[in-house]
Amino acid sequence: MNTIQFLTTEWVWCPLALACAAGALVIYLRGVGWSRRGWWMVGAIASFLIALMSPLAALAQGYLFSAHMLQHILLLVLAPALALMALPKSTRVSGRISGLLHPAVCWGCGVAGMWIWHLPALCNAAAESRSVAAVQTVTLLGLGVAFWWQLLAPCEAQRIAPLHGVLYLFAACIACTVLGIILTFSPVTVCGAYLHPVDRLGIEPLIDGTWGMTPMRDQQIGGLIMWVPMCMVYLGAIFGQLARWYGAPSEPSTANLHTT
Amino acid sequence: MSESPEAVLESILSPDQRAHYQLAWLSTVDHKRIGILYLLTGTVFFVAGGLEALAMRLQLAVPNNHLVAPDTYNMLFTMHGTTMIFLVVMPLLFGLANYFVPLQIGARDMAFPRLNAFSFWLVPLGGILLHFSIVIGDASTVGWFAYAPLNETPYASRLGVDYWAISLLVLGIGSVGTAINLFTTVLCLRAPGMTLRRLPLFTWMNFINSFLVLAAIPVLNAALVMLLCDRLLNTHFFLPAEGGSPILWQHIFWAFGHPEVYILALPAFGIISEIIPVFSRKPIFGYEFVAGSTVAIALLSFGVWAHHMFTVGMGHAMDLFFAGSTMLIAIPTGVKVLNWTATMFRGRIRFNTPMLYCIAFLIQFLCGGISGVSHAIVPLDWQTKNSYYLVAHFHYVAVGGILFAILAAVHYWFPKMSGRMLSEKLGRWSFWLMVVGFNGTFMIQHFLGLAGMGRRIYTYPDLPGWGWMNMLSTVSSFFMAAAALVVLWNIGSAMLRGAPAGDNPWEAWTLEWATTSPPPVENFHALPPIHSRRPLWDDAHPERPDPVVGPDHEGTARPDKYRSAMVAFVLSEGAFFGTLILAFLYFNVQPQQGPTPKSLDLLKTGVFSICLFASSFTMWRSEKALHRGSNRGMIAWLSLTIALGGVFICGQGLEYQNLLAHGMLIDTNLFATTFFTLTGFHGIHVMVGLLLMLIVLGLAMAGVFKSKPPPALAMVGIYWHFVDIVWILVLTVVYILPRFL
Amino acid sequence: MGWGWGTAVVNALTSMSPASQGTEEIFHLWMISIAIFGLIFLLVTGFVVYSLMKYRWREGEAEPEQVAGQLTVEIVWTVIPMAIVVLLFVLTVRTMAVADPGPAPAPDLIVTGHQWWWEVRYPKSGLVTANEIHIPTGVPFSVELDSADVLHEFWVAQLARKMTTVPGHPNHIWLEADTPGSYPGSCSEFCGTEHAWMRFTVIAQPPAEFAAWERAQLQPSVLPTEAGAVAGEQLFMQMSCVSCHAIGGTPAHARVGPDLTHLAGRIQIGSGVLDNSPDNLRNWLRNPQAVKPGVEMPNFQFTDQQVTVLADYLETLK
Repeated sequence: MNTIQFLTTEWVWCPLALACAAGALVIYLRGVGWSRRGWWMVGAIASFLIALMSPLAALAQGYLFSAHMLQHILLLVLAPALALMALPKSTRVSGRISGLLHPAVCWGCGVAGMWIWHLPALCNAAAESRSVAAVQTVTLLGLGVAFWWQLLAPCEAQRIAPLHGVLYLFAACIACTVLGIILTFSPVTVCGAYLHPVDRLGIEPLIDGTWGMTPMRDQQIGGLIMWVPMCMVYLGAIFGQLARWYGAPSEPSTANLHTT
Repeated sequence: MSESPEAVLESILSPDQRAHYQLAWLSTVDHKRIGILYLLTGTVFFVAGGLEALAMRLQLAVPNNHLVAPDTYNMLFTMHGTTMIFLVVMPLLFGLANYFVPLQIGARDMAFPRLNAFSFWLVPLGGILLHFSIVIGDASTVGWFAYAPLNETPYASRLGVDYWAISLLVLGIGSVGTAINLFTTVLCLRAPGMTLRRLPLFTWMNFINSFLVLAAIPVLNAALVMLLCDRLLNTHFFLPAEGGSPILWQHIFWAFGHPEVYILALPAFGIISEIIPVFSRKPIFGYEFVAGSTVAIALLSFGVWAHHMFTVGMGHAMDLFFAGSTMLIAIPTGVKVLNWTATMFRGRIRFNTPMLYCIAFLIQFLCGGISGVSHAIVPLDWQTKNSYYLVAHFHYVAVGGILFAILAAVHYWFPKMSGRMLSEKLGRWSFWLMVVGFNGTFMIQHFLGLAGMGRRIYTYPDLPGWGWMNMLSTVSSFFMAAAALVVLWNIGSAMLRGAPAGDNPWEAWTLEWATTSPPPVENFHALPPIHSRRPLWDDAHPERPDPVVGPDHEGTARPDKYRSAMVAFVLSEGAFFGTLILAFLYFNVQPQQGPTPKSLDLLKTGVFSICLFASSFTMWRSEKALHRGSNRGMIAWLSLTIALGGVFICGQGLEYQNLLAHGMLIDTNLFATTFFTLTGFHGIHVMVGLLLMLIVLGLAMAGVFKSKPPPALAMVGIYWHFVDIVWILVLTVVYILPRFL
Repeated sequence: MGWGWGTAVVNALTSMSPASQGTEEIFHLWMISIAIFGLIFLLVTGFVVYSLMKYRWREGEAEPEQVAGQLTVEIVWTVIPMAIVVLLFVLTVRTMAVADPGPAPAPDLIVTGHQWWWEVRYPKSGLVTANEIHIPTGVPFSVELDSADVLHEFWVAQLARKMTTVPGHPNHIWLEADTPGSYPGSCSEFCGTEHAWMRFTVIAQPPAEFAAWERAQLQPSVLPTEAGAVAGEQLFMQMSCVSCHAIGGTPAHARVGPDLTHLAGRIQIGSGVLDNSPDNLRNWLRNPQAVKPGVEMPNFQFTDQQVTVLADYLETLK
């Protein structure tokens, strides 16, 4: 089969994912109602479904480590951020929970989510067992929400201060860079399950032949994906923080002034 | 007052006292004097580096020349590069920052004046160490980035590389000290009303730059340490014969090296951002975008380093990712260039000498930036890398850009520093000589590179065009030398006979112009109200002041400078340990002969580690006791902390003894090398921490902490917790993970 | 006359005179890039010059309108460069794939960098030579690049991409020439004292000529008959020459220095420092350190007589 055929036919049927997506949509519409903001939620759900049901998911199920990395990014970074942006400004969490959501904790959650599932034992388990994969999905989403809470909490007052947010994101960038460097440059296989895929779908010739994805190159690209696009995301978020900082409204001072 | 304070002082001192007063320059801790000392030092080394360049150009003027011996030439280009970067541009920029950042934020001095002086004196020391190697006839000949294995003992067996490495370590310490100082000064010493959003761009760029220095210089330090281990202790970090990797040197060096060029560029951008608005009579166009793009450049600069390695064989995937990131970093830089130009658009441009240099900067830096993007296009780099095209590129950005910005700054701020005006006529002469000389020297080198002439060759065959192109370059370089002489003449004669400058000869708007020229020792007698980014504009134009930027009280609670400084220091140490940890991982993922992590005694180490972690807890209790006002409690908990730390270090000593007894030395294999390096440096940090704590303990027992407690305990606390966190990482990476993976 | 001069300049720019498919691709990318860069340079410089000319300050003029910025303009001039970057990136991907395909399973040529000469082997025929590489026109050769000591870099601008030789980590390039000719190359990674004279030449010949050359090169050397050359051969075998140099068909097998079996047929000696002529050969033998200071071959302090007979012998190695 060729690439186009692959992209059109190899979608994964996952009723659980569909049910969760539908449930999330229903809860959102009933809780918040529809507005322009709702499109962010659509985006979040779309990311979720692409991660779990598109040809990407087919590749991630034991074929390509790099595809698995893309899944990670969709679940840990994209979907939670979009979901938070869909919540109305009035959404607040109680003081107790807000106290738990200290920047250090949230940062730790995000970085842990990035790193833990790359430990060889856990990575292999998630690739081989459906239930572990489900746990992985849930933890990635949860940790992602915790990470992005500091930057995208609906209520401005519960967010981290903009300049601190820059440091927060930069530190996360360092963490994902270190991981990316390790994955990219490591001469040994990190996630052994992808070394010898079981070719259930008959697409090995496409992957190995047409795309030229040897296991080593696959891991290299996976590392590069964890590294470069992730840092681009963090960089973009840093710009968002700077825009927030510089764009914050001024209070009138006592000086006599005209606006130009 | 018509006379400067200096003049008054001179008139009331006796001859003996006057002599002493001059010597006061050697012991000064005043940021303005230290700034001038940096500028003088940079100028002296500029002459040295310039003479080295002229000697090279003379050797290359004709084909098959024999003016200098091959290894003399190789020494010349090594020293030229090292001198210009570390002994000229960095000191000149630090000097300007030293002088003007405190003034621009309305402060009285830098946060740590004595650290400032110490950081300065490391520059002449490092410079003398480096040049001493020439005196003993053994200077380094392996280039300013000293690739492995050429930098290793089998191929560079004499002392030159060792002197080079050690002098860079010395200079690096000074740079980190300055960065800590600048960072803390801007964060903590701003005058009321000078919020971070209102910072002049020169100060903002230096503030961001301090992050770069803190994060990048320690990476170089780690590389140099590893190299010295190879050369002096027979380890094999970078020698392939025993499993080392020459390419790893390139990765680590350029992970420092690329941020380094932005360390040179950002203050230059800051200078341009100050001068163009003043001489266009308009505020900078798009302040937020210029400031924000600086942050982008600072962050991206850590993600582009392997664009120096496109021909090393990393594979297309890696090449392409770094190509992409490099092309991306061109965008915020380009945005700046456009913003500067838009500042001039619809302005009222005054063509004084500082502005002339800025205009030349714009066009020349644009050219250098564009040739830089051509290098990012990997297949084009496959043709142009390591040729004179590359030499042309980096001289266009470093000289045509950065040096021109420094010259602009010198002409702009000289009146403030000396109280006298430079001659516009001499300024124009030097400017045009410099423009003609610079472009004549380096524009033709693009074509030399395309004609196949490689870099770092002491001579060349008589191939078509190579002769006249090199001759043109050589002749032009003497125009540059002439320009430099005119600049020095201008400065010298202005110091003696220049017209008085007054407070604000350029009608500029930032706070350094709100005081006398030169400023009094305390910098300001009074500050104007600060509500916008141009306080002096608001003062001069009350009918149309700038819009107020942010609330006046924003961030009024300035952070504590001691804690901030220690956090900055800890960040830099983190970069150092990070590099060592990555090197450990790199060399230990694959099995090797000889000792392995499994040879380590996890149980014993675990016990000692628990002591170390407990000492963090006791340190915290000690700080809490001090906070409560309990001096005895503080002393008790601190003593316990020292004891626990002592147990840890003894444990580590026993571990080392045990390993040594079993024949595991630092050069046994790469595991041993990386193990001893990583744990060894950690151990040194523990010992330093114990020493600091003993000093604090002594002070506490002497009753120093009883009344107003100094911040020493809090600072040591931050340091100690950091040391513990590093140990958590080391324990995980070295002892725990290898057993379970 | 102007055109002649111009053509001469362009011809001198070897990076702009591709003679293989790979470098042709790179050249096309150059042209596109130069067009884009030229446009950017002209636009921005034009903007600068226009502003300088139109907005000079004149004596007595009031301060201009204090415009602090404009968001639309900022967005436009951020987005347009991003688009250009995307374009350049796509072109980069494409050109890399075409100009630098993966290596063949087995190399046709193994080039090893030494301080300061190039060892050249043809593994399929067993041919070993130094500093001069012959290839047939129109036939791509898969080249493995190695180093015996430090980093070197193989650069022949008209025929192939540049590639570093890394000890312990072989690299691969494709080498191909479309037209016959002599193509200069050099080491481009600083590798020590005589990096400047680590040059090489690639000689592309029509396939039949190349085959003839290869056959001739595979012949062992023939014992000389002329008296001076015979004396030279004996001197060579008795003295330390044999500890570094190999000559096919004789007891000399060492590979420390360049293979000399067919030295007399090469265009240059000393890895490009001298043209191969009787005088130059004698100069080299008399004192290599005077010609190429720092070279690994010591000054053996040969007498004039010894130099003459050695040169006579070496000149028989055609």
